[in-house]
Amino acid sequence: MGIVHGQEMVLNIGPQHPSTHGVLRLQVRTDGEIISEIKPFIGYLHRCFEKHSENVTYEQVIPFTDRCDYLASMANNFGYVVAMEELMDIKVPERVEFIRVIMGELQRIASHLLALGVYGLDVGAFTPFLHMFRDRERILDIFEMTCGARLLYNYMWVGGLSHDLPVGFMDVTYNFLDYFEPKIGEFNDLLSHNKIFVERTADVGVLPPDVAISYGVSGPNLRASGVKWDIRKDEPYSIYDRFDFDVPIGEGIKGSVGDCWDRYYVRMLEMMESVKILRQALSQIPKDGDVHQTIPKKIRPPKGSIYKRTETPRGDLGYYIVSDGSPVPYRVKMRSPAFTALSVLGEIANGWMMSDVIAILGSLDIVLGEIDR
Amino acid sequence: MSKEREKLISDAVEKAIAGDMDAINNIEDRVVRSKAKAALAKAKRLQKDGSSPDADLSGSDVPTVSNAPSENPNRMFGDRINQKFPGSLDGDLKDTHIQLKPDQWNDIAIWLKTEDDMLFDSLQCITGMDMGEDILEARYNLHSMKYRFAIEIRIAIPKNKAEIPSIEQVWRIGDWFERETYDMYGISFSGHTDLRRILLPDDWEGWPLRKDYEVQETYHGIVVPKVKEGWE
Amino acid sequence: MTVDWIFEWLNGLFTTLSGNPFFLIIAILVPCLALFGFITVYAFVVIYMELKVSSFIQDKVGPMGQGVGLHAGKWGVLQPIADALKLLTKEDIIPESADKPLFIMAPFMIFIGAFIGFIALPFGEYIIITDLNIGIFYILAVGSFSVIALILAGWASNNKWSLYGGMRSAAQIVSYEIPAGLSIVVVIMLSSTLSMQGIVKYQEGGIFNWIIFTNPFAFVAFFIYFISAMAETNRTPFDIPEAESELVGGFHTEYSGMRFAFFFLSEYANMFVVSGVAATGFLGGWQSPIPGYFNTPLWGIFWMLSKTMFLVFMMIWMRWTFPRLRVDQLMNVCWKVLLPISLVNIFGVGIWTLVFG
Repeated sequence: MGIVHGQEMVLNIGPQHPSTHGVLRLQVRTDGEIISEIKPFIGYLHRCFEKHSENVTYEQVIPFTDRCDYLASMANNFGYVVAMEELMDIKVPERVEFIRVIMGELQRIASHLLALGVYGLDVGAFTPFLHMFRDRERILDIFEMTCGARLLYNYMWVGGLSHDLPVGFMDVTYNFLDYFEPKIGEFNDLLSHNKIFVERTADVGVLPPDVAISYGVSGPNLRASGVKWDIRKDEPYSIYDRFDFDVPIGEGIKGSVGDCWDRYYVRMLEMMESVKILRQALSQIPKDGDVHQTIPKKIRPPKGSIYKRTETPRGDLGYYIVSDGSPVPYRVKMRSPAFTALSVLGEIANGWMMSDVIAILGSLDIVLGEIDR
Repeated sequence: MSKEREKLISDAVEKAIAGDMDAINNIEDRVVRSKAKAALAKAKRLQKDGSSPDADLSGSDVPTVSNAPSENPNRMFGDRINQKFPGSLDGDLKDTHIQLKPDQWNDIAIWLKTEDDMLFDSLQCITGMDMGEDILEARYNLHSMKYRFAIEIRIAIPKNKAEIPSIEQVWRIGDWFERETYDMYGISFSGHTDLRRILLPDDWEGWPLRKDYEVQETYHGIVVPKVKEGWE
Repeated sequence: MTVDWIFEWLNGLFTTLSGNPFFLIIAILVPCLALFGFITVYAFVVIYMELKVSSFIQDKVGPMGQGVGLHAGKWGVLQPIADALKLLTKEDIIPESADKPLFIMAPFMIFIGAFIGFIALPFGEYIIITDLNIGIFYILAVGSFSVIALILAGWASNNKWSLYGGMRSAAQIVSYEIPAGLSIVVVIMLSSTLSMQGIVKYQEGGIFNWIIFTNPFAFVAFFIYFISAMAETNRTPFDIPEAESELVGGFHTEYSGMRFAFFFLSEYANMFVVSGVAATGFLGGWQSPIPGYFNTPLWGIFWMLSKTMFLVFMMIWMRWTFPRLRVDQLMNVCWKVLLPISLVNIFGVGIWTLVFG
């Protein structure tokens, strides 16, 4: 019995493509519609963040960190300042901690809204994208009210914040939370349980947990594979240990554990948890406290190094900072969660069809700014 | 964790320590059974070490703050590595990191990942460093998901012979991290299947993050700007 | 007016030259030009409808203006005209390695395929270009003409992605012809004629005489036909050949300017044709729902247009609500779900008519 060997076609998806979430090139070898090999090529957005950070002072690195994962800038800032404060042994006032948590969780909701909306767009549903962006605009309005910027904030500084909360912040945020909670039910009706969406994403691109850990996948991607790991709970930083929230994991409701639908749904549930945290933080925040109080006049950390991880919407972001006693860092290495998430694509996308590759890539929620730095 | 479940697990573990494994094997719920098995393994280990088993067998063997290793993990594991692989330690035991020589790194990595009571299954980050005086260093941050240990391993090599054994097959993320370190520092990882540049174009010259790096003049005819003339 | 009617009238006018083929040509050209005008107006209407309906579904306002001449006219009514002008004046790019004759031919072929379906659609009792006695069969046959055009477009672009789009669309359209055709067989069985006017005349007597309501199997057949029709016109959820987020545009990636406009236009024309067939076959065509009232010829046009435009609106609505199916799922739905149901329908309609008369 002979085996018919067709000729394999080598295609490029990208670098300019509506669905690659940035400038990414995927070299794909296909046999008809079935993929036999995927090789991602990155580096189109490399802006030499690590080399720059060796030439500017510690405070001046913060705007650079904004621009790495430009869709969750608050989270990047948060990771950096938490690492720096541990290196320099600074204790910030309570009010600063609460504001940081509030901003981090609002940013998490905004980032997940974008991720899920764009995922719907990749799969072909045009409408949830716009509905989610409408809600995201309200969050960006809150950020603009606070620090003047909609996307790249430079808000969290080493030892404090750049601006205090403006007058009327609490009302606006409470209004947003009341408006947003029923919306998640709407999104579930429109997209999550839609039969066509479920067929496109359930059982597609299953990521087993041991493969995920070996590839360093973290955040919602890892939780969707069934591993209950959240740095906010397991290695708490800032004041996250004071809040009561669940860590949703994927349970394979619509298919297997760790498929695309699980990754999508974990993000949806995480938004609900963020709303919980926000409500608690808003009710417990101390009324007074100066956000500029503990900002050191000159940042000169002691000699040494630190590796600190925080939980961003995309996974755990690690900063490895080496200081040699001068005001300029010796080395800042940023270990981004999307880097590891993209590396697992070559492993889980083999054997699927072309449309599935787009679905799997969308479910991993990558941002090229973070991967290439 | 409900009280009944805790009680069920602690009863089953006690019976199993006494020799009767059926108590654990008969637990129907898969999650509870695996928690019981984990608690049994922890209890056995603590017995071996001579300390008393935890009274609070909550079914999860995450070391809480109260029973975290009192010894510094870097020192503890550095000691164990030295015992298992004599001659691999480069210098004394330190609190902040473990300094290793590059030769046996692959074997040590496999041992760290597969050994039952360490299980360093997660490579967090590989950072390349230019230490000055013609020495490069690769720093590995390892983490154990099960036992929550975190250690840092540093391997220093001379600039003119920058080779470290690759651990790509041990932790699969090592593939891309090592490519990035190679790209930025020029450290070549022997045994890596596909060592090429990842962030920069394949035909770029030089290792950018080294301290003595000079940007090349032109790239395919495009002048690489060094001075910000005419920019705002 | 039928072609015959004009021909007869010209013959009557110039009795000496009666039977001249020149008169036949005029008799054909005049209605076709009128039809072309109708399609143009319809295109503007449907493009505007798509813009506005999609905007309201997506919680936007869509194109808006302040008055004639300012921006896009009041309520954005002049937007489709602006779109058409923009497409007309764009640069016509033909990729260097594309197969030039085929590349140029593809948009024409697809428009022909859409256009010739119009000539058998009845707009009123005497308002039909030509009342072929195999009307509905003819429309189904020429509806598959667009497959060739799509494959040509995909192949001639010399672009791997367009090739994907072309291949997918060929498989899709050819497969979905079958459930569509079988559902129309139900109509033919009940009205026992293939002529479009005959089918409409069978359904006279008010809303409950429409074929969709005579028979539960015919009710199901209507939905089968509608779904297959959406798949034939490459609308979401079946728009995998032009899947924007995967293939950047599928078979029409390399087309620009007026050629692209032709693809666009023929998609909307196709939508009208299949909706027209559904309205004629199942919803009574130009018959009024209330027997005896509102049945002058002008009202006939109104009923036909409103039924067809309602179905077009449904297609637009579904496009903006659902995600798209993957290729193999698409084929699954066609061969394993729609085809057996339509076979059962034929069987069921026959038995029902035998039993209940």
